[in-house]
Amino acid sequence: MSAAVEGEVRVFAEYERDFTEEADVVVVGSGPCGAVVAHELTARGKRVVLLEEGPPFTPQDFELDGALSMTRMMREAGLRTTRGTIIPTMQTIALGGGSLVNSAICVRPPDFVFEGWEEYAELEGTRRSDLDPHYDAVEAFLGIALTPDELQGQRNLLFRDGCDALGIESEPIARNVRGCRGSGECFTGCRARAKQSMDISYVPAAIKAGARVLTSVQVQEVLSDGRRATGVRGQVVEPFSGRRSHRFRIDAKAVVLAAGCMATPVLLQKSGNLANGSGQVGRNLQFHPGIAVLGIFPEKVDPGFGATQGYQSLAFLREGYKLETLWAPAAILAVRFPGFGHDLKKRLAQVPYAANWDAIATCHRSLGTVRARRGASLDPILTWNFDPEDAQVLGGALYQIARIFFAAGAKTILPGVHGVPDEMHSLEEADVLRTRRYAASDFVTASNHAFCTTRMHGDPAKGVVDPRGRAHEMDGLFLVDTGIFPRCTSVNPMLTGMALAHRSAQAVADEL
Amino acid sequence: MPSAWGLSAGLFAATLLGWAVWRVFGGFPHAKRPGLVLAARELAFLAAAADATYPEGGSDLPSGTQAGIPAYADRYVAAVPRSVGILMRLLFFLVEHATLVFSAPGRGGRRRFSSLSPEQQGAVLEGWRTSSLFPRRLVFSSLRAILTMGFFSDPVVLRALHLGAKQIDSPIVEADLLYPAIGAHPRTIAYEREDLVARSGVPLAADAPLHPDHAEQMQ
Repeated sequence: MSAAVEGEVRVFAEYERDFTEEADVVVVGSGPCGAVVAHELTARGKRVVLLEEGPPFTPQDFELDGALSMTRMMREAGLRTTRGTIIPTMQTIALGGGSLVNSAICVRPPDFVFEGWEEYAELEGTRRSDLDPHYDAVEAFLGIALTPDELQGQRNLLFRDGCDALGIESEPIARNVRGCRGSGECFTGCRARAKQSMDISYVPAAIKAGARVLTSVQVQEVLSDGRRATGVRGQVVEPFSGRRSHRFRIDAKAVVLAAGCMATPVLLQKSGNLANGSGQVGRNLQFHPGIAVLGIFPEKVDPGFGATQGYQSLAFLREGYKLETLWAPAAILAVRFPGFGHDLKKRLAQVPYAANWDAIATCHRSLGTVRARRGASLDPILTWNFDPEDAQVLGGALYQIARIFFAAGAKTILPGVHGVPDEMHSLEEADVLRTRRYAASDFVTASNHAFCTTRMHGDPAKGVVDPRGRAHEMDGLFLVDTGIFPRCTSVNPMLTGMALAHRSAQAVADEL
Repeated sequence: MPSAWGLSAGLFAATLLGWAVWRVFGGFPHAKRPGLVLAARELAFLAAAADATYPEGGSDLPSGTQAGIPAYADRYVAAVPRSVGILMRLLFFLVEHATLVFSAPGRGGRRRFSSLSPEQQGAVLEGWRTSSLFPRRLVFSSLRAILTMGFFSDPVVLRALHLGAKQIDSPIVEADLLYPAIGAHPRTIAYEREDLVARSGVPLAADAPLHPDHAEQMQ
């Protein structure tokens, strides 16, 4: 029985028995990278099957409560953490992947990031100028544009004002939105349907061009015949419960893995340690650890209104961090307030006056691994260690955020770091953020930007894929998620992942 | 035949064990409503922790139990994978019973958390929060996050702070012709191509910013 016909999407309620499919290309994962490849190949006339383990979410499926939303849309209920240094990290399980619940930030990294890639990983053809045509194509398709002032809200504009007062370069963030209303609901699903997440942009376009899209299907093994990838197999899974049922197999001339930086290496490991002669599959895990500081202003900020993340500063990228504004649900803002009882309840009245800004750090020294578990689970075992020098970089970022807050007129900041006062009322008080020697455990940090676990490298002995995502050791196997980055991007990675995927689509088409 | 000494020692040990079991598991108030997954003793702990963090009175905001924190935590534990739920329940158990070993300050401090006075409960939580040991701070952060999320899930709290969710109509887009609600069959998709603009009354390019004072949508 064929499970899908061209130009259709299948959902859990439609699977009745085991099935097999044939295609030119099977793409595993419908996040930003997989969706781009599926669309580009379908547009070139290839027969494409796009597989996604999660279901499609419609506005009536969105849950506004952040915690309950995570239990529905994230693997391991959004509570996945690393061993070693504990850092929470999330992975979405939904059609459209992380694009459904990210804040739509689209940034091209500066030249020096790519120059670093070329030097570090002995690459050719990965300069910014090589990738610009692919960035252009993705930006045009998604309507990526700078966030206008009228959608920023005070939370974002105060950041701009603080940067301006200090002479720090800042800029509105470019986002993949059309018709944004500043509702600040990017993280739980855009009810205004303004965010151009993959489920309402690239995936429908691929379907219209003839792609077959199967949702609620879990790929458990990549099939191969000698050096050639020949397809995938797995099982249908029920949304939310993850209960497995019917089996399926997709035979294809090419297999494209876009399951994400954590799932792709697990899949390769579970498939007989495929494409891992270099021993690099699952190694070199990098994050952009992030920290947030809360600032309290004398005037109302209305932190719920405005683009989820509308302003950023790239001025400190060479020093190892990026500064940006951040929306957070009221509960997360309130968690930062110290104290208990009546004192705490009085402080909660300050929530409407609060703004939340954050930093993400480039941490090349802090590395980890992704390993498959024994048994049937596809959840990874993650290990990561936060290097003390990288922790110091994050401390420097904290101080810069404090400077910007006070320059913007904040009366109090709450840095949320162990070992320093809960509240600071002046830049002089905040000076300890600059001078303190930090331990990794001083920070409450998190990261949803993850990289490098199947890295590209010019030398097949040191990497898993070439610059076009083609596996060094296998024919017909391509990897196209952020796992192939040789090092982190220092800025939000979605757009770069999509640009690389856009380029890889041509390489896949050439090989067929 | 056991000796008289052995019998006495056995009886003493059994009494001690019974006392310890009672201290850990006994004497909890019955829950008004049974939890989805949490036991009465866990709901009692959550109620104590909720009211220690957000007591009654002092502002327009409700108390932790009035805001429904224990029921929220119960729903949350029920929604997460079983292995994660077990860890969360262990966390509740740990904080509830740690004061049987590490006494809370003040008279009668060697009791379960839920049996301590509000001042002692506050002091205990502050001890977890400011501990020099990272795992203790992590336990506190996790508990505090659950309590706070539960508190802010109450529409009364959100309304009092003017932080309620905005009423937003979702425009119909092409994807709505493709995907049914989760668990439903595609034949339940009600939209047609002509609905892309008309049905919701919200144009596709809804580019007008949503004003912060937009009417709040409350349950």
